[in-house]
Amino acid sequence: MIDVKNLTLEYEEMENPVLRNVSFTIDEKESVLLLGASGSGKSTLSRCLTGLYPRELDGSMEGEVRVAGKKVDGASPGAISRHVGIVFQDPETQFCMLTAEDEVAFGLENLGTAPELMEGKVDTALEEVGLLPKKGRTITSLSGGEKQKLALACILAMRPPVIILDEPTANLDPVATDDFVALLERLKLEKDVTLFVIEHDLDPWLSITDRVLMLDREGQLFYDGPLREGIDRYAPILHEEGIAVPQTVKLAVEEGAATPPLPLTARELAGRLPVLPEVREKEDGERALLQTEKVNFKSILHAIDITLPEGSFTAVTGPNGSGKTTLCRVLAGIESPTSGRMLHSFPKKEWFKRVGYVFQNPEHQFLTDSVWAEVAYSGADEERVRHLLEWCGLWERRNLHPFTLSQGEKRRLSVATMLVEDQDLLFLDEPTFGQDARSTRRVMDLLDEKHRSGTTIVMITHDMELVEQYATRVVAMKDGEIGFDGRADELWKRDLDAFQLKRPLKVRLKEMQEGGVRVPQ
Amino acid sequence: MKNWKLKEIVVMSVLSVVFAVVYLAFLPVGKVLVGFFGPIGYDFIFGIWFIVSIIAAYIIRKPGAAFLSETIAATVEVLLGNAVGPMLIISGMIQGLGAESAFAITRYRSYTLPTLIFAGMMAGVFSFAWGYFQSGFAALAGGYVLLMFITRVLSGALLAGVAGKLLSDALAKTGVLSGFALGKEKRKKHVA
Amino acid sequence: MYLNNVNPSVKALTILALVLILALLFDPVTPVLFTMFTVLITFLFGRFRKKYYLFYFLPFTIFAFGMFWTTIAFADPPQNPAETIVLLGWEVPEENVLVALSLSFRVMAFATLSLLFMFTTNMVEFLLSLMQQLRLPPKLAYGIMAGYRFLPMLKTEFDQIRAAHRVRGVGTESKWKRSRRFAVPLLAGAIRKAERTALAMESKGFTGSRERTFYRNLKVRGKDWLFPAGMGAVLLFFIIFSVRFGYFSWYQGQL
Repeated sequence: MIDVKNLTLEYEEMENPVLRNVSFTIDEKESVLLLGASGSGKSTLSRCLTGLYPRELDGSMEGEVRVAGKKVDGASPGAISRHVGIVFQDPETQFCMLTAEDEVAFGLENLGTAPELMEGKVDTALEEVGLLPKKGRTITSLSGGEKQKLALACILAMRPPVIILDEPTANLDPVATDDFVALLERLKLEKDVTLFVIEHDLDPWLSITDRVLMLDREGQLFYDGPLREGIDRYAPILHEEGIAVPQTVKLAVEEGAATPPLPLTARELAGRLPVLPEVREKEDGERALLQTEKVNFKSILHAIDITLPEGSFTAVTGPNGSGKTTLCRVLAGIESPTSGRMLHSFPKKEWFKRVGYVFQNPEHQFLTDSVWAEVAYSGADEERVRHLLEWCGLWERRNLHPFTLSQGEKRRLSVATMLVEDQDLLFLDEPTFGQDARSTRRVMDLLDEKHRSGTTIVMITHDMELVEQYATRVVAMKDGEIGFDGRADELWKRDLDAFQLKRPLKVRLKEMQEGGVRVPQ
Repeated sequence: MKNWKLKEIVVMSVLSVVFAVVYLAFLPVGKVLVGFFGPIGYDFIFGIWFIVSIIAAYIIRKPGAAFLSETIAATVEVLLGNAVGPMLIISGMIQGLGAESAFAITRYRSYTLPTLIFAGMMAGVFSFAWGYFQSGFAALAGGYVLLMFITRVLSGALLAGVAGKLLSDALAKTGVLSGFALGKEKRKKHVA
Repeated sequence: MYLNNVNPSVKALTILALVLILALLFDPVTPVLFTMFTVLITFLFGRFRKKYYLFYFLPFTIFAFGMFWTTIAFADPPQNPAETIVLLGWEVPEENVLVALSLSFRVMAFATLSLLFMFTTNMVEFLLSLMQQLRLPPKLAYGIMAGYRFLPMLKTEFDQIRAAHRVRGVGTESKWKRSRRFAVPLLAGAIRKAERTALAMESKGFTGSRERTFYRNLKVRGKDWLFPAGMGAVLLFFIIFSVRFGYFSWYQGQL
């Protein structure tokens, strides 16, 4: 269905090609996963497959791309959309209409579908993704996961033989991600579609992948074949390439059980590890840095009693809309509580010199035209700025405009700007969201280092592996109330479905072994 | 519309929406100034209301950008709720035409600071002519009207022309305009 | 027959025509009566949340009222200073009151017509109708639609940036610098999103060509003409009324 030959692509403003001599074929009804770090040219490739490039390209493109036997170069955009549809990463920017049904109809209108047939097709497509009950709803009222399903419905309605999914779950929480992948799994069984998934995270996609392609940072394809073999062969270098290896593989490597074939499921891994990996427990300091008494905020937060011990690393988690961000904003003094008391020892005037807050979108916090000026903004001396930039690995990039940095670099810069004053308390709103494996690791390493040197950290996250690894305590929100507040290992004993959370791998493994699950040898 | 790319249209329309909100926010400011200085109060800041036409034209550089962006902004202002009502759409179109005329005179080839200032001034001239007809400046003393005219044209030059260019240039530095005429021009300069 | 069902293009053109006619007139009676009539029609034949109407209507009323007082206060010396009216214990020339009434109700008439349209028209249908009835190029219409969707998103972005800047301790600089610091991330984010949206639209086969079908087909039906005919007739009636009682005059640029 897809045939790419010797594709090399270069952007005008960049020195090196983003794709080098890429060749591969995808057969009908195959599900292929393309793995690569952010910035490795994955999205560029998807733009070539949908015919956007070379039409809109400022640069040069060599080689040949054929979809369903037709050369993409030179075909009209309308014609290509009959053969290939694409679901993008960002749920907010894929739509141009106000309601779900209008959006699905938009593609059909573009194809010139007869008006009398349209409603039937719209309904079928919405039914297929389970959104029929929300047909007339405005798109803004849908959750992130529903928006991605709607984007998929738009494509399904147009019935192209090939569907490309460009990091479709990067902005979704783990539960919505599993839900979306399960939907694709079902569609794959029911329909004759070819799926081409572009990702940096392998874990959610294990079940539906027939074959993987791996792209390195230079834009070269270094592996094309079955998943298991690829992992066995390249596991040690995948992390360097910004590709997240499956959690099971990571753990197996850590525990010294990394002989091929590497384990891809918890069950496989359980058989490998005779010794139970100990879930580590951490202790906090004694003194309370910040404490609340019966804090309410509008109709969002109710009767919040929380204590942040000095030197703790608190993970705030819970379903979307449960009040995680609002809680942190109130605690960080960005919003004032509607009622209740906040107890702390920070002088009011110096509040934001002592408390930092890293927003979900780092760009919102940037104020200047260069990385250097960004850190120097609040009047830090040269030595301090230099130290911070070196610490977060941005020294080489000090003269660039903050907006031109990569996602991972922007995140690290925003963390650095919040540490200029050596803040005692740092809040972070999903600092690893939309980052590839390597930049997640780098930002977490920085935070861990700060935590060890005494900074109190509060981090919103959905990622239970991070919670397990770094947090000393967890606050799980539910409907604007604190549903759980305590040590992580206590949380794993609770009913996690209520918080829409998944137990981390180590815990699942432990349960499996303790529960006497029979393990294949 | 044929030679416009879709992304140019969407970006123009987003700019218009953003500045429609800004325009509405500046109406009370104008009213306060009128309270202090009389009818000329509006003219001090009148240039603000031309800024989107300058920015859109400077970034996209296609015939129609100035006119369309100002018209869309005015329409959105009306849809968001504005006391002047639908008449505002016509005012917007006329202001847009003013700025557009300046770019048309250069045959859409020049987007230098003087051209942008000229466009801001032309928007002021056009809008003043329309205001003269519509809001009855005729009733005011000749010298005062002349002063109003000069103030408005200067405001157009500064708040629309100069400020519009500065803002667009600051935006170009972020790299988000790399797919648009302005970003491409900056890149060429950088290479050269 | 609801106003919401009148073809949006017909409705828009009617309102534009009414506004243009009203802009040419200058008398206190016609706009007063027409304002009341418009509000009445809106409430009788419109389906919308009445509470919100008041929310919009109130500022306009305050604005018009302010205009009324300032006009009286700053008016030119009247030609017949002898004829006066007492307003709240303040003696003012009748002529000035009439001018002020005319001006403020002119504004009210514009505002209520604009509200009638706003509250009874679906934005999407309006754009669809502009494409289907008035031949607006689809590329422009859908481009505007995509841009319009950004409004709620911009509001959230705005709040986010404001909070983010507070944490960074912004607030000591000049207004221009501060608004630039604000505008750049807001606009940069919006432009990047706009570009992505355009990309998504094209990947769904949107080319901007006129050869497309529509899920919602808006037609101009016979009964759509009731709206312009009715509104026009009533306005004409009020004008005649005003002429008969000697209030009518053309607008000559009074301030």
